[in-house]
Amino acid sequence: MSGRHILWNGAPVPFRAGETVASALTRAGVLCFGQAPQGQARALFCGIGQCQNCLVRFDGRLTEACLLPCHDGMALAEREVQQ
Amino acid sequence: MAKATDHDVLIAGAGIVGASIAWHLAEAGLRVAVADAVGPAAAASGASDGAVSVASKKPGVMARLATGSLLYTRDLAARGLLATAFAARPSYVFGTGAAEMGAIDALIAKLAELAGPVRVLADGGAGLLPGAGPGVERLLALSGEGHMPGHKAVRAYLAHPRITRLWPAALAGYEVDDGGVTVDLGTQRLRAGILIGALGASTPEIFPGLPVLPRAGQLLVTDAGPRGALPGALTAAAYLLAKTDGPGHEVLPPVVIDPLATGQFLIGSSREDHADTSRVDFVTLRRLLGRSASAFPALAERRVIRAFAGIRAAVPDGLPIVGPMPGMARVILATGFEGDGICLSALIGREVAAMARGEGPGPDWAADFAALSPARFSAAQPGRVA
Amino acid sequence: MSGARVLVVGAGLAGLAAAVELARAGIAVLVVDQAMRPGGAVHRQPLPGGRSLASPAQARRWRALMSEVEAQRERIEFACETRFGGIDHSGAVLLTGAAPALFRPRALVLAVGAREAVQPRPGWTLPGVTTAGALQTLLKTTGTPPQGRVLLAGSGPLLLALGAELVRTGRPPLAIIEAGQPFSHPAPSLRLPVSYMVEAARHLARLVAARVPILTGAHLRRIAPDAGALMGEVDTRHGPRRFLADHIGLHDGIRPNDAGLTDCAALPVLRLGDCREALGAAAALADGRARGRALAAQLTGTTPPTATSALAREAAAQARLARIYAHDGAAQLTDLPDDTVICRCEARTLADLKALGPAPSTRQLRLDGRFGMGACQGRFCAEWVARIVASDFGDTPRPVLGQPRWPARPISVADLLAAPNLTSGETE
Repeated sequence: MSGRHILWNGAPVPFRAGETVASALTRAGVLCFGQAPQGQARALFCGIGQCQNCLVRFDGRLTEACLLPCHDGMALAEREVQQ
Repeated sequence: MAKATDHDVLIAGAGIVGASIAWHLAEAGLRVAVADAVGPAAAASGASDGAVSVASKKPGVMARLATGSLLYTRDLAARGLLATAFAARPSYVFGTGAAEMGAIDALIAKLAELAGPVRVLADGGAGLLPGAGPGVERLLALSGEGHMPGHKAVRAYLAHPRITRLWPAALAGYEVDDGGVTVDLGTQRLRAGILIGALGASTPEIFPGLPVLPRAGQLLVTDAGPRGALPGALTAAAYLLAKTDGPGHEVLPPVVIDPLATGQFLIGSSREDHADTSRVDFVTLRRLLGRSASAFPALAERRVIRAFAGIRAAVPDGLPIVGPMPGMARVILATGFEGDGICLSALIGREVAAMARGEGPGPDWAADFAALSPARFSAAQPGRVA
Repeated sequence: MSGARVLVVGAGLAGLAAAVELARAGIAVLVVDQAMRPGGAVHRQPLPGGRSLASPAQARRWRALMSEVEAQRERIEFACETRFGGIDHSGAVLLTGAAPALFRPRALVLAVGAREAVQPRPGWTLPGVTTAGALQTLLKTTGTPPQGRVLLAGSGPLLLALGAELVRTGRPPLAIIEAGQPFSHPAPSLRLPVSYMVEAARHLARLVAARVPILTGAHLRRIAPDAGALMGEVDTRHGPRRFLADHIGLHDGIRPNDAGLTDCAALPVLRLGDCREALGAAAALADGRARGRALAAQLTGTTPPTATSALAREAAAQARLARIYAHDGAAQLTDLPDDTVICRCEARTLADLKALGPAPSTRQLRLDGRFGMGACQGRFCAEWVARIVASDFGDTPRPVLGQPRWPARPISVADLLAAPNLTSGETE
């Protein structure tokens, strides 16, 4: 595995320096980021942190994938893991 | 000869207390109108949590009224009226430090004396509640209480077909004569046999002699997460102390963490003596959240999606004002509940409706209602005249 | 992070122009931006080492502004990846992210740009359906379009600009579905500034050369999942058409991005550029400069400069553009199927709205209907709820969901608690 990757559901997704999680996932063809509590799909929509539709959980926080910078090895999952 | 009336009873205020009184009168066959400056549940009833709680009430009159109202609310839920509004659920009181330990001991004694439906299930440490954190030194688990979002109960009460809805229509004044009350609603004047003022924090605008004071509270709402993470409201014992001491004596924030049906949390609340709902500040929110997250650490993974301030109608002696104005049997007040309106609304609605029909509170309640009479304020005087 | 600084939120044209003017007057400025680099929406920068899609004129404008910023770097500090969490009634502001803090600035300048309006239609919540702006952001930063077929729909000049950028990157859109009929006006009658006409001509030339169909007077009525892709059903003036796409970019105009940004009596609060009035890049730059100078004069107690006419010119041009693109698309709201999602946050549908009965009050809409109660606080539904409610009685739409409240955007509890408190004379 060469280059830098985030882990989506355990699978490596490459990213470029300075790229957001939403951008890297979209380029990799991942369009659905999970499911919101009311059952609707979580996915990129507005791209500027306003619509709250592209939330992913990272570092104990739900945050907008369209603003979240990629870091090498960061693990994200479609299904939220909660104790 | 008295002028004919438009309504047997006109109720000013479509909060939960006014709505409950209206339903009880309509159910008894009276012609009832409810007027509100804004609309249903526009003030405290729509901005609060929905605890139907005996534990949080001051010992004595308030705890007895809350017990009676809890039983009656459960009854109304069983009969269908409040079935979608009320839900029984466990409740939890936590504390840390000497003052809160003392408050918890006093709570246990109070519940034993009431011998009512609210029972102590367990008294122990944080281990009693999965998810309780280091901020919980002692935890009391209670059964028998419940939860009722104010706007849902208001909607259920006001759905009665014999209730005439008048809003937006603010009460501007009234005039009493032998045959009834002429009520000035600004754009129209109506005749009613009896006027009931259930005006909450707006009470002094019409009844300037009554010491109803605005007490603001900052609240915040989190985003939704898994439902059932917390089975019932988690209340700091400091809240019980605040109910006894009034504002300004707080050592620890009197937080209540209320799990909502949506999977969100409602966290309240500060107690501030002003009526400015624009005053929401980070320092206060952080105090509330800091204590909440230490009591229930899973909160740290939630997001605050909204914060706001609501206004409670407080009375300096900590008791609501319920009963006829001195020397004016046709004008009845039901106000000043300071956040206890949702809990007390069922019982207050039934008994005030009885008063309006000339039957007075039932014998079980006469003594307690006497303590709530507006006659206890020497300054109580007839209000603005139309 | 002392309280003596002015806080500028948004490192786009308006915010940076204001920062430069304040710094020139000797005032220290902290500029925060949620993105990883300055630029804002218009000048969003390519990833390091990537190729810029900016036009030569755009590139010149950005270089000129950045050199002005560089000349003032002693007084301008940047904090990127930093979110503005709002201002409270006491004048304290909260920052979270890379440079978290709770502090009192000398003044607050809000220059957070615009957001897009997107009209609800069946399927608009499906993954793969985004705003046109979100696609443009991907394009500007990565220089490459997303994989697969792209369909653009809605109304406004952004659709043509984005379409032309897609052509440049070698992936022309399947079509541009434009609700208005902007080409039905003879060009000289438009009286638009020359720069607008030049830009439009450049975009159109690219689109025509790549044979991209531009369907005007057409509406994307419905989007449905279809064999792992998205089927867009379009009503055109010549009958229905269908397009099978992998990405659909929607855009129904831009609005100031000012939701939940409250004023404060304790210090000067300014709104600049598109977040005050969405008039585009040239206006944002002019507004940032003029109001930045005025604020500097206010803070230093000097004579305020006289206003310029640049802003009025742009406002007039934008008003003409709006007339050129005018269409009746919103009339279709009332014909939507009942199960169409109106509130994206909590998946509340048109049926949920209708169930509230005629003329619902704000409290009913919020507490019973739960419209505007989700995490976006009504940014993406308030406008449509107002229109649908108003159409009950032929009324003109007015705000019905109430003002969004603090926080302007959700803030994690952990971040709210972790931000160091730098407000003076207070303890927690």
